[in-house]
Amino acid sequence: METSSRELQAAEYLEKHQIKELVSYLTSALLFFRPEKPKEYLISLLERLRIAKVTGVAFPFFMDNSNIVAMFEMMDSSGRGTISFVQYKEALKTLGLCTEDEDLQDDGHKITLDKFKEEVNKRMKEICEKTKGKDSESYQTAAGLLLLR
Amino acid sequence: MDAATAPHRIPPEMPQYGEENHIFELMQNMLEQLLIHQPEDPIPFMIQHLHRDNDNVPRIVILGPPASGKTTIAMWLCKHLNSSLLTLENLILNEFSYTATEARRLYLQRKTVPSALLVQLIQERLAEEDCIKQGWILDGIPETREQALRIQTLGITPRHVIVLSAPDTVLIERNLGKRIDPQTGEIYHTTFDWPPESEIQNRLMVPEDISELETAQKLLEYHRNIIRVIPSYPKILKVISADQPCVDVFYQALTYVQSNHRTNAPFTPRVLLLGPVGSGKSLQAALLAQKYRLVNVCCGQLLKEAVADRTTFGKLIQPFFEKEMAVPDSLLMKVLSQRLDQQDCIQKGWVLHGVPRDLDQAHLLNSLGYNPNRVFFLNVPFDSIMERLTLRRIDPVTGERYHLMYKPPPTMEIQARLLQNPKDAEEQVKLKMDLFYRNSADLEQLYGSAITLNGDQDPYTVFEYIESGIINPLPKKIP
Repeated sequence: METSSRELQAAEYLEKHQIKELVSYLTSALLFFRPEKPKEYLISLLERLRIAKVTGVAFPFFMDNSNIVAMFEMMDSSGRGTISFVQYKEALKTLGLCTEDEDLQDDGHKITLDKFKEEVNKRMKEICEKTKGKDSESYQTAAGLLLLR
Repeated sequence: MDAATAPHRIPPEMPQYGEENHIFELMQNMLEQLLIHQPEDPIPFMIQHLHRDNDNVPRIVILGPPASGKTTIAMWLCKHLNSSLLTLENLILNEFSYTATEARRLYLQRKTVPSALLVQLIQERLAEEDCIKQGWILDGIPETREQALRIQTLGITPRHVIVLSAPDTVLIERNLGKRIDPQTGEIYHTTFDWPPESEIQNRLMVPEDISELETAQKLLEYHRNIIRVIPSYPKILKVISADQPCVDVFYQALTYVQSNHRTNAPFTPRVLLLGPVGSGKSLQAALLAQKYRLVNVCCGQLLKEAVADRTTFGKLIQPFFEKEMAVPDSLLMKVLSQRLDQQDCIQKGWVLHGVPRDLDQAHLLNSLGYNPNRVFFLNVPFDSIMERLTLRRIDPVTGERYHLMYKPPPTMEIQARLLQNPKDAEEQVKLKMDLFYRNSADLEQLYGSAITLNGDQDPYTVFEYIESGIINPLPKKIP
């Protein structure tokens, strides 16, 4: 079935402004916090996003340091203190911090908690830097991944 | 973090919250608006959309042949729903718009307005505050496929489209009796809709172009065009027969317009069936469980299973069974919680029957968090229940259950040895029914959005009613 040009155009628009991630984030926030008045809550979230984009201020999100530790411990089920390279890559993908095709170096050693935290923080900072500019379009990466300092 | 190995355990509060607040529909509407307008800056657009908060305002299109009563129905709907009415006449009469003056000039010249101009007028009008806040009703527009497509390209989509239909002969005759009140613009009829006040009667005028020939010509053109407009609105269209009294047409239109369409929102049914003994709750629950793979939770059954399996609860329940007393609510709720908290109930949904029996049990259920999202009351008259229950028999040899009227035993030999369950005796049934009806008024008040069904029909008909009750969104209560 051929996709009409309007459909392609719409898909492009979604991709360009990362609408899918944004909507996914909004819905997750709603279902997690379950506010009494969903519309007002959404408006407040969107306002904060808008301000964050304009001023480049860190935007509080779900993830913070304790979450990284929790995530690491979930993956390291036997409590050895290290996770395998494959798990590490999957985790970064889940957090949206690396793309599918990115080639991470497997240096042969297992990844420890400290290395994991360091890597996550480093990538978050990169993204922060990138999205400080006013003409950046990646709301979701700005919003979704800034850590609570 | 291996999503593949550990299944997601979503706490049940999340889907409940999502259903109650219609989160899916909210997001879907927002996304639709984003894709239609494709603003450069999505976030301020979304904020504006949420502030407007007009997802549920009426957006109605009424189409139909001449003399079908469109304008009357449109006007009545407007008054009832407090929305703005848009017709060809009042669009051109707008004094503040340059496009309107242009359209007026063309209308006076040729009796029609070009589609492009008309659609532009509509766009201007719909951008005004009152249409955004309170909704709009388009009367008789779009007439042709071209107009329908133009409206669509501007991103204007109605939520409900009503098409009135009636046989041509009826319409031609009806049009002869049309009269207009020049002051209010309302349309009356010499036979069907005569105004009671004599002052209105005196000032009624006969409109031009209602002769038979003219009506027939207009009807021809209508039929030519409508056939190509209807496919533009596939799922939101409803055809109502205009060959019935005005009030009937109006009520059908009103109920349709106030109902929501089925959405794609994820939905786990949590059904509660209430009704006196013998109303068919177990049968309907079994049918539902089979067709929709819900978990059939019968309270009585749960208790009996607990006793038979001699679980810890079972041992506590057994003395009540032996003395033939009702099991206390706290124990009952514990057994129920154990079953309803299991993963299959949470994921697949459940059908509950046999409980709650009275208001206290209902409140306990609510406090434990097991809120049903569909409640059905099965109403069966007393005589039918007596008939259904007192004629039940069981064959002690084969264990087969018979009913002397609906499923009689095949041979005389079997019939001779049939036994009746003492619980099915007339007095017992009467007692249980009285018990139910004493509490039913309270329960009906508690479950305000419950659907009442006539249970006195064959099981598959009742099943179809229950199905449509589950699948369609809950009807909005008219305040």
